[in-house]
Amino acid sequence: MAVEGVVMMDPAGLKAIGAGLAVGLTGIASGIAEKDIGSAAIGAMAENEALFGKGLILTVIPETIVIFGLVVALLIK
Amino acid sequence: MRLLQKFKNKGKSSQYKGTSNYAYLATRVRAMKSKLVPKETYPRLMNMGISEITRFIQETEYKREIDELARTYSGVDLIEHGLNRNLAETFTKLIKISEGEPNHLITEYLRNYDIWNIKTLLRGKYYNASTDEIKEAFVSAGQLSYTFLSELAGKQSYSEVISVLEGTEYYSILKEYDETNLSDIENRLDKIYYNGLFNVISKSKSKDRKLFAKFIRTEIDIKNIKTLFRLKKAGVSQDEIVDLIIDGGLELSTNNIQKLLPLSYNDFIQALDQYSFWDSISDAVNSDTDSLINVETQLIKHSLKSASSFSHVYPLSIVPIMDYIISKRNEVNNLRIITRGKAANLSDEIIKNQLVI
Repeated sequence: MAVEGVVMMDPAGLKAIGAGLAVGLTGIASGIAEKDIGSAAIGAMAENEALFGKGLILTVIPETIVIFGLVVALLIK
Repeated sequence: MRLLQKFKNKGKSSQYKGTSNYAYLATRVRAMKSKLVPKETYPRLMNMGISEITRFIQETEYKREIDELARTYSGVDLIEHGLNRNLAETFTKLIKISEGEPNHLITEYLRNYDIWNIKTLLRGKYYNASTDEIKEAFVSAGQLSYTFLSELAGKQSYSEVISVLEGTEYYSILKEYDETNLSDIENRLDKIYYNGLFNVISKSKSKDRKLFAKFIRTEIDIKNIKTLFRLKKAGVSQDEIVDLIIDGGLELSTNNIQKLLPLSYNDFIQALDQYSFWDSISDAVNSDTDSLINVETQLIKHSLKSASSFSHVYPLSIVPIMDYIISKRNEVNNLRIITRGKAANLSDEIIKNQLVI
């Protein structure tokens, strides 16, 4: 029986997997980082509502991680 | 790291409901701490009369309690009850907002209010105080609720009170009470409190428990050193002192205390200079001072300060919460000292000496 040809992996598919990993893993990372900050912000807000603005800003700072991931994903594309 | 720990401890920690979530708890408690009366306020309070002080604390965290109680009480009593109730509610709130391990530790720590309330009951019954008088002295910050305690206060005799408490861990001690050994029973209740705490600490070796242990043992040190100061000053014999010492101090271990016991008051002071709290009390201590008030306030100040610096070293742990508990207790004590002092017409100087700021 003849070999029916070597199955090559499509480079576009690998790229897509890479881009997916970049967004996915950074997303998890920011999630973990924001978890503690978010709950701390809620704790502070429960006692002092004026801290809402500051809490919100501090909570979304780790969001940069996933933004970098997104940028990398777009570059790979 | 913490995720990893959580997986490792999965089996062990399942005895407590929920996860610790220190980020939430510690920040919330810090926000609560920021609302305590600031240091600079105390000199201002010293210049006010009772009604002005009531007015002032009504504008702070004590508003709700003062508003509620203003119908039944007035003057110093109003402040006193407002403070007590606020303390109880604040500590109950700490238990409510925490879960998992910190919840367990706080509950154990606040058990001393249960013991305080049981003591109040026994003393009240001993002196035949009325139900209302006993109820007024309760601080229901522990496990025993105010309603339950009020019910107990309404009982006719101490034996009825004790029989209701059957099944609690205090019962084995309480059943030996026969109206003659009140102070002995009280000491043993205090010891059961620390035994309980040490039980909790020794069960698990997590980081929190270690910190908690250090905190508790420092507190025991301060308590022991206060007892030693008072009794040495009064010239009590060492056999009697031994019964009143609590085991398990951090710096003042049982061995060290054995060394301190036979010394005379002056030698005892000399021997203290190797301990960490010496720096804070050295100014206040000399052999010819009559009162120990300065020494005691300095000791409390030392414990407050060390707790607060300790809480900055371990920001996400049980320590900031313990720090808050003792700061809050101190605030309530200070406000009480000021109002009671004012009501008794004490001079500003005397009141100022008593304050721990």
